[in-house]
Amino acid sequence: MSLFAALNSPVGRKALTGVTGIGLVLFVIAHMAGNLSYLFGSDAYNLYAHKLMSLGALFYGIEVLLAICFLLHAYLGIVITIRNRRARPQGYKKYRSAGRPSRLTASSRTMIMTGVIILIFLVLHLKSFKFGTYYTVEINGVEMRDLYRLMEEKFQDPLYAFGYPMVMILLGLHLRHGVWSAFQSLTLTSRKLSAALYPLGLILGIGVAIGFIVVPLYIYF
Amino acid sequence: MTQSNGAAGQPRLEAKIPDGHLQDKWDNYKDAVALVNPANKRKHTILVVGSGLAGGSAAATLAGLGYNVKCFCIQDSARRAHSIAAQGGINAAKNYPNDGDTIWRLFYDTVKGGDYRARESNVYRLSQLSANIIDQAVAQGVPFAREYGGMLANRSFGGALVSRTFYARGQTGQQLLLGTYQALSHQIAAGRVAMLPRREMLDLVVVDGHARGIVTRDLVTGTIERYAGDAVLLCTGGYGNAYYLSTNAKNSNVTAAWRCYKRGAFFANPCYTQIHPTCIPVAGSYQSKLTLMSESLRNDGRVWVPKDPADQRAPDQIPEADRDYYLERRYPSFGNLVPRDVASRAAKKECDDGRGVGETRLAVYLDFADAIDRLGKQAIGERYGNLFEMYERITGENPYRTPMRIYPAVHYTMGGLWVDYELQSTVPGLFVLGEANFSDHGANRLGASALMQGLADGYFVVPYTVGAYLNRHDRADSVSADNPAFAEVQGAATRRIERLINSDGDKTPTQFHRQLGIILWNHVGMSRTRAGLTHAIAAIGELKEEFWSRVRVPGTAATFNKNLEFAGRIADFIELGDLMARDALRREESCGGHFREEFQTAEGEALRNDDAYMDVAAWEYGDPTPHLHLEPLTFESVQPSTRSYK
Amino acid sequence: MTIHLRVWRQSGPDSPGFLEDHTVTEANEHMSFLELLDVLNEQLIRDGREPVEFDSDCREGICGSCGLMVAGIAHGPQKRTAVCQLHMRSFNSGDTITVEPFRARAFPIVRDLVVDRSAFDRIIAAGGFVSVTTGGAPDANAVLISKADADRAMDYAACIGCGACVAACPNGSASLFTAAKIAHLDFLPQGQVESAHRALAMVDRMTDEGFGNCSNHAECEAVCPKGISIAGIARMRRLYLMGPLTAKAQ
Ligand SMILES: Cc1cc2nc3c(=O)[nH]c(=O)nc-3n(C[C@H](O)[C@H](O)[C@H](O)COP(=O)(O)OP(=O)(O)OC[C@H]3O[C@@H](n4cnc5c(N)ncnc54)[C@H](O)[C@@H]3O)c2cc1C
Ligand code: FES
Repeated sequence: MSLFAALNSPVGRKALTGVTGIGLVLFVIAHMAGNLSYLFGSDAYNLYAHKLMSLGALFYGIEVLLAICFLLHAYLGIVITIRNRRARPQGYKKYRSAGRPSRLTASSRTMIMTGVIILIFLVLHLKSFKFGTYYTVEINGVEMRDLYRLMEEKFQDPLYAFGYPMVMILLGLHLRHGVWSAFQSLTLTSRKLSAALYPLGLILGIGVAIGFIVVPLYIYF
Repeated sequence: MTQSNGAAGQPRLEAKIPDGHLQDKWDNYKDAVALVNPANKRKHTILVVGSGLAGGSAAATLAGLGYNVKCFCIQDSARRAHSIAAQGGINAAKNYPNDGDTIWRLFYDTVKGGDYRARESNVYRLSQLSANIIDQAVAQGVPFAREYGGMLANRSFGGALVSRTFYARGQTGQQLLLGTYQALSHQIAAGRVAMLPRREMLDLVVVDGHARGIVTRDLVTGTIERYAGDAVLLCTGGYGNAYYLSTNAKNSNVTAAWRCYKRGAFFANPCYTQIHPTCIPVAGSYQSKLTLMSESLRNDGRVWVPKDPADQRAPDQIPEADRDYYLERRYPSFGNLVPRDVASRAAKKECDDGRGVGETRLAVYLDFADAIDRLGKQAIGERYGNLFEMYERITGENPYRTPMRIYPAVHYTMGGLWVDYELQSTVPGLFVLGEANFSDHGANRLGASALMQGLADGYFVVPYTVGAYLNRHDRADSVSADNPAFAEVQGAATRRIERLINSDGDKTPTQFHRQLGIILWNHVGMSRTRAGLTHAIAAIGELKEEFWSRVRVPGTAATFNKNLEFAGRIADFIELGDLMARDALRREESCGGHFREEFQTAEGEALRNDDAYMDVAAWEYGDPTPHLHLEPLTFESVQPSTRSYK
Repeated sequence: MTIHLRVWRQSGPDSPGFLEDHTVTEANEHMSFLELLDVLNEQLIRDGREPVEFDSDCREGICGSCGLMVAGIAHGPQKRTAVCQLHMRSFNSGDTITVEPFRARAFPIVRDLVVDRSAFDRIIAAGGFVSVTTGGAPDANAVLISKADADRAMDYAACIGCGACVAACPNGSASLFTAAKIAHLDFLPQGQVESAHRALAMVDRMTDEGFGNCSNHAECEAVCPKGISIAGIARMRRLYLMGPLTAKAQ
C-alpha cells in the first residue's frame, strides 16, 4: 500500500483532519491574541497587524498554508461525514448516550454543523476584514493599514457585534471536541495523556470563545 | 434390552489400542500410520460439524495440512461456540512450577478422577499431548496469565495436588477458542475452509456403511441442504441441556450426536453427567440457564453451612464455632479442592439435611473472608475480580462482603458417542471429538481437562487418524450429494420439520423442556435409585407422546425460527433422557458422577463394583429398546483403588 | 413488576419494520432482560402469535451472541454488562422500554432483533490471526512476555465480538472491534511480526464492509461489555499509518 493510499483511507483522512485542525487551532489562538491587542489601543493593534504583513513572503506562505489547511479540513470533514451517514441508513427510534467514559457530547455530534457554519462565516469574515475597506493611518512616520478603525466601524453594527460572538461560541463548541479528537486521530495511545488532554479541549474552547467575544462586545458597549 | 459383550467377538467395539507400553502406544501408532499423499489431500473433503475447541482446531489443522474442509456451526459465528464460556483453565503436564508434575501424574490424576472408567491408552495420549497444546496456543497469541518474570503462570484445580492449570483471567475458554477461531480464519482466508455458520446438522448420511455426508438446515432461510464428504467429524459438544437448566449455552444440544446414534453410532455411558459444585443457585421458575462460578474459586474460598439447621442469622453474624466447613472436615487432605462429584454430593447432602442457606435453602456458602484477610482484597480481586463482578450482576450481592451462595448444577457430560483409539465411531468415517465423544474422562471429569481434550483431539489426534482412515478406504469413489441416500435423508429431515411446524398443540417447546429437565434432575441427577430411574423411564415415555401431540411451534419453517430449532432439539433430548435413565439403571454401582443410592459406603461415599462394571456401556439404537454392547476396561498401568480424597 | 415493551418487529431484511407494544406482568427483579423476553415469547406463542426473535447463547456475557438496543443504549443502561446479564433490578415496575436491533448498514437485519454480523468474521479473516499452522511451536516459555504486556494484550483480547461498539457509534464504525484484535496481537511478540500487514488488511476490510469511520465519540468504550479502551483505536491508527513504511520491512 502506498503512503498516499494510507492517507486517503478513512484513517488517513481523519489524521489529516487532525493535523490541519491543530494547525488551525494554532492560528486561531494567534489570531485571538492579535485581536486582544485591540484592547491596548489603536497603535498597538495596527502595529501588530503591520508587523505581520511586513513579514513578506513568510506571511504569504503562512496564509497559503492556512488556506490549504482550512480547505482540506473542511473538505475532509464533509467527505467523512457523508460516508459515516451512509453507514447507518436506518436510524434508531430511541438513542441515548451511555455516559462516561463516552465523549459523545453536543459538541462531538455537531462537528459538521459548527464546521459548516464556521466555513460560511470565514468567507464573510474575509470579505469584511481582509478584503474590506482599506483605511490607512500613519504611526511613527510609517503608513499602514488602519484595521483598528475598520474593526470599530464593523462592530458598531449590532449584526456584527452579536453575530460574531455567536459564531465564536460555535467555534468554541467545535474545539471542545476537536482538540482532543485531533490527538486521538493522530494516534495518541496513552490513556493517561488522553484523559489529561480531554479537558484541554474544554479550556481552549471556552478560552477562544471568550477571547474572541471580548473585543466586539467591548467595541459595541 | 439385549446384551452382548464386546470381548466376545463383537468386532464393532474394537478399541484398536496400539501395541506396546502405555508410554509408547501413540508413538507406535504414528510410526505405523500410513500418510496421505500431499497432492491428494485437497481432493478429500472433510465435513467438520462444530467450531468449538474440538471442531475449530480440527478444521484449522486439517485445512493447514491441505484437506478441503467444510465447517458448520449453529451460532452466527464460529467464535461463539460454547467452548467460549469455559472460565477456569486448561491442564498441561509442563511442570513449570517444578512441583512434581509429570505426564504420568496428569494421566494418573485423570484416570483416578474418572473413577477408573476411562480407557487408559486414550488418557495417556491426552496427557502426552497436553504440553503441545500450550505451546500451540502461545504461538497463536493466546494471552495466558504470566508471572512478573515473563513466564507463564499456573494455578491448581480440584482433584490435583500440583499446579498445572494455565489460565487467561477467568476467560480461558474464550482465549483458547479465539486462538482456534483465528487459526480457522487464517485457513478461511486461504480458501481451504468453507465456513458455514447458522447451519444445524439434522442428520447423517451413510452410504455403504460409511459416513459420507450430512443434511443441515440453514437457520436463516430454513432450506434443508445436503453436503457430501469423505469423512465427517462430529464436534458438537455435550448434552447437559437435556436437564433444561445447566451451565451450557442455550444452543447446546444432542441432536447431531443423536441422529448419528440412530444411524448406527453407539452411544457410550450416557448416564455419566457432571454436576458442578459451584454454580449460582436457581432464583425462580423463569430461569433460563445456570451460571457457573469457576472451580478455581475453591482455591481460596471456603465452603460452609451453619451447624444448626435452624440458624437463621446472616452469614457474618454466625461465629466460627457455629459453622461447619464440611469439606475440610470430611476430606482433610484435599479439603475444598476435592473433585467435583464429591463436592457436589456433599453440598446436596448438607441441603438434604436441612442446613442449606438462602431463601430456597438450596445453597451453601463459599466464603472469601479468610482469603481476603490473608492476601488482601486486591490480590483476591486480581484472581477472581471478573467472577465476583459476574456474581454481583446476577445476584445483586457483593462477594467481597457477603459469602457467595452456590449450589451444584449440570455442567458437563462425560458420556457421548463411542469412539475407538482413533476417535472413530462405530460408523466408519464418522469421527467424534471433544465433549461429544465419551473417551477420556470416565465417570467424572477433573477441572480444566475438557479444554485440553477438545484441543488434543482436534490439533493432534484426528489429523493422523483421519488420514489413516482415508488411506484404508480408497476415496477415489467420491460420493456426491446427488447420491439417492442423500435425497432420502433430506426427505426425512424435511418431513420431521414439517411435522413439528404443523403440529397444532397448546404447549410451548420450552414447557416440555422444563418438564424433561425436572424428571432428569430429580431422578437421573446427583443421586439415583432403581425406583426413581424406573419411574423416569415411564415418565419420559409419556412426555414423548405428549410432546408430539401437544407441542405448538409458532411461525413457519422458511424463516429464522428459534422455537422450531428448540422443538427439534427437545424432541431428541427426550429420547436421550430415556437412554440416560436406562444406562443409569443398568449400572448397579456408584462411580464418579453416577451415584446410585443403593451402592454407597457406610460414610456415604461412592461404592464401585469393579468386578461387574469395569466397562464402557455402548448402546446401539433399537426400536423400541436399545441394545447394549460392552467394552471391558483393562488397567495395566494403574491399579484401580477406592478413590480417597481424605 | 410490570414492564411495558416497545419491540422492533421486522419479518425479513427487506421488509419494513415497526415498534410493537407489549406488556409483561410477571416480570421479576432477579430476571435477566433476556428472560423477560423469554417470558414474553411464551406468552405470545400461547396466544398463537409469533415470538420475538433475538440471538443469545451463553447468557453469561462471554459469547457475544446477544445484543439489543435497550432504552436507547447498546446492551442497556448497566455498564460493562451484556444484555444477557442485564437484570431487571436496573428498571422500575411500570417502565416502558424500547428494544431495537443493532443497526448498521454492515449489520443487515435477519428478523426482528436478529442481525447478520458476519462482516466481523470477514474482518478477522482479513488478518486477525497469527499465521501459524498446527505443530512445530516452540516451548511456551521460550519467549518471555512481560506481565504488563500480557495483561494489556488480554484487556483487548477480551472482546466478545458482540457488535455493541458498532451499534452505539453514531457513525456505525467497527473501529473498536477491529482495533481490539489488532492491539491484542500487537502487544505480544508472536503477533507483532505481522502487525503492520494485519492493521492494513483489517482496516481496509472494515471500510469495504461499509462500516463508518471513527470520530472519537468514544461511545463504543462506554457500551462495551468488556470496557475495551479506545486507546486501542489510536494504536490501530498508528500501525495503519505507519503501515506503508513498516509493512515492507516486515
Ligand atoms: C460454563 C462452563 C465452564 C467451563 N469451564 C471449563 C474449564 O475451565 N476448563 C475445562 O477444561 N473445561 C471447561 N468446561 C467444559 C468445556 O468448556 C467444554 O467441554 C468444551 O469446551 C467443549 O468443546 P467442544 O468443542 O467439544 O464443543 P462446543 O464448544 O460446545 O462446540 C460445539 C460446536 O458444535 C456446534 N453444533 C452443535 N450442534 C450442532 C448441530 N446440530 N449442527 C451444527 N453444529 C452444531 C456448535 O455450534 C458449536 O460450534 C466448561 C464448560 C462450561 C459450560
Ligand atoms: S448470550 Fe452470550 S454474551 Fe450474551
